[in-house]
Amino acid sequence: MRRQGFTQSRYVIIPAMSLTLEEVEHIAELARLELTEAEKARYREQLSAVLDYIARLQELDTENIPPTSSVLPARTPLRPDVPRPGLPLEELMKNAADTEQEQFRVPPVLD
Amino acid sequence: MTEYEAVIGLETHIQLNTQSKIFCSCKADSWNDPPNTNICPVCTGLPGVLPVTNRVVVEKAALLAAAMHAEIQPVSFFDRKNYFYPDLPKGYQISQYDRPLARGGYLDVPLPDGTTRQVTIEKLHIEEDAGKTKNDNGRRLIDFNRCGVPLIEMVTGPDLRSADEAAQYLIRLRQLLRWLGVSEADMEKAHLRCDANVSIRMVGADYLNPKTEIKNVNSIVAVKEAVQTEIERQIREVEAGKRIEAWTLEWDEDAGVLRKMRSKETEADYRYFREPDLLPIHISEAWLAHILQELPELPLERRARFISQYGLPEYDADILTGERSLSDYFEAAVALYPSDPKRVSNWLLNDLMRMLNESGKLASELRLTPDYLVEIIRLVDAGTVNTTTGKSLLDKVEASGKRPGEIVNAEGLAQVSDTGAIRQAAQQIVSANPEQVQSYRKGKTTLIGWFVGQLMRETRGKADPQLARSILEELLSE
Ligand SMILES: [Zn+2]
Repeated sequence: MRRQGFTQSRYVIIPAMSLTLEEVEHIAELARLELTEAEKARYREQLSAVLDYIARLQELDTENIPPTSSVLPARTPLRPDVPRPGLPLEELMKNAADTEQEQFRVPPVLD
Repeated sequence: MTEYEAVIGLETHIQLNTQSKIFCSCKADSWNDPPNTNICPVCTGLPGVLPVTNRVVVEKAALLAAAMHAEIQPVSFFDRKNYFYPDLPKGYQISQYDRPLARGGYLDVPLPDGTTRQVTIEKLHIEEDAGKTKNDNGRRLIDFNRCGVPLIEMVTGPDLRSADEAAQYLIRLRQLLRWLGVSEADMEKAHLRCDANVSIRMVGADYLNPKTEIKNVNSIVAVKEAVQTEIERQIREVEAGKRIEAWTLEWDEDAGVLRKMRSKETEADYRYFREPDLLPIHISEAWLAHILQELPELPLERRARFISQYGLPEYDADILTGERSLSDYFEAAVALYPSDPKRVSNWLLNDLMRMLNESGKLASELRLTPDYLVEIIRLVDAGTVNTTTGKSLLDKVEASGKRPGEIVNAEGLAQVSDTGAIRQAAQQIVSANPEQVQSYRKGKTTLIGWFVGQLMRETRGKADPQLARSILEELLSE
């Protein structure tokens, strides 16, 4: 498979695509995105290019390199288990699209 | 059908009993609170907020991991599990995936036939709970109070072999959680939730067949019934030459049937990735040592010790170690009455358990302390009070908080063993009831119980019953 790299800030799309159209549709479904046929084709090209580029990293020998999850000092701060009041209800409800009986109301989901 | 055996694994979610939530300081327990009263920008996923991990969540999870003989990992990571659901305001759940807090481990579950089933643990991780969706006449209302409540997810290996064993595992797990004080483990309140993976195979086979997953089996009874129903269904299918498909099923507790659910996302669809807002959890050796100071003798170990050290029957040992404070109470009482642990056990099983059930208290909360209980047993041993009075003293001590001996003196409860006084009372009863005396003398000797009852009433229960009986028998046979 041919590979392409970045030239300046642009990259060149090549036709050897690693993602199928069905995979793009599945990913869009998981992200709850509705795509037009033209968008599906475009994202297929772009996402394939990203994957292909990332795939180049697989060529590196990382056998003796420990995985890096973060470059920050690797230790989570911890807080004491002491409850504190949160936000007043009115504040939290203020931006909700719909509320009822002090709860957030959402459209019904059809199974 | 004896040629099949069931292969069952359980995935449990355990709500920890911390004061505050896992990543924010909102109050964790909202059981008695109105909807959306314990929420903040962090747990409702408002933009620009950052989670901060609750120290006690890590400590309680590590304590449980140690009790399950799991390997606590010095470094573990948080990951995002992505899915869309209205009660998940961030669009992802903060969980742990490939680097959980603990791996491995097991629980030895004693079975009713006297054998033990070792149930292995594949992994144990911490995560946040989602909110609650309520369907109200076709309207969907969301309460975020439960968002961010700390959970432990614990997945067993495919080690259970029947619906009963699955139920036994949950009973022992619930006992352990309460014993450690990490969860209230009240299944009614969904502190302990369970999904069951079920498959069948020929007895003795060492392979696994396709399994089904039963969601939401949230009581011991439901686990038993749902798993049994599914085992029977799978046997029928296989007998009919059909294949078992990897369905997700939902147990309808009211109808007692399993319903096929629309297939959920596969694991890859959750698109797990490292939680960028949280750093890894480091559990140093010093911190772990500090946490493990809280690790008590475990219920099954104590059960075995009660049998070997005190010579208790398995039945007694099982009940006495059902709950930690009861078993502590027993040991405190036996320390004061070492000559006969079984006698102490009888008082606990027959009488103290009744008081605990009626009052809803823990043994440690009783005003009738082990010290007072032993005093009552000794008063009965010495014949100062009879057994009936002794038992009535339990409630009197509990109600007043006074020493048993003090109550006996104040209320004049000491047993009347004075032959003269009892004879006098007996004579009165005999002369006041000529009809009964006649029936007795004509051969209806079972009436003796009635006469003794009259005498006990007359003496307000204080008479030595054996003495009363022999005096009455003597008078009636004249
Ligand atoms: Zn909060």
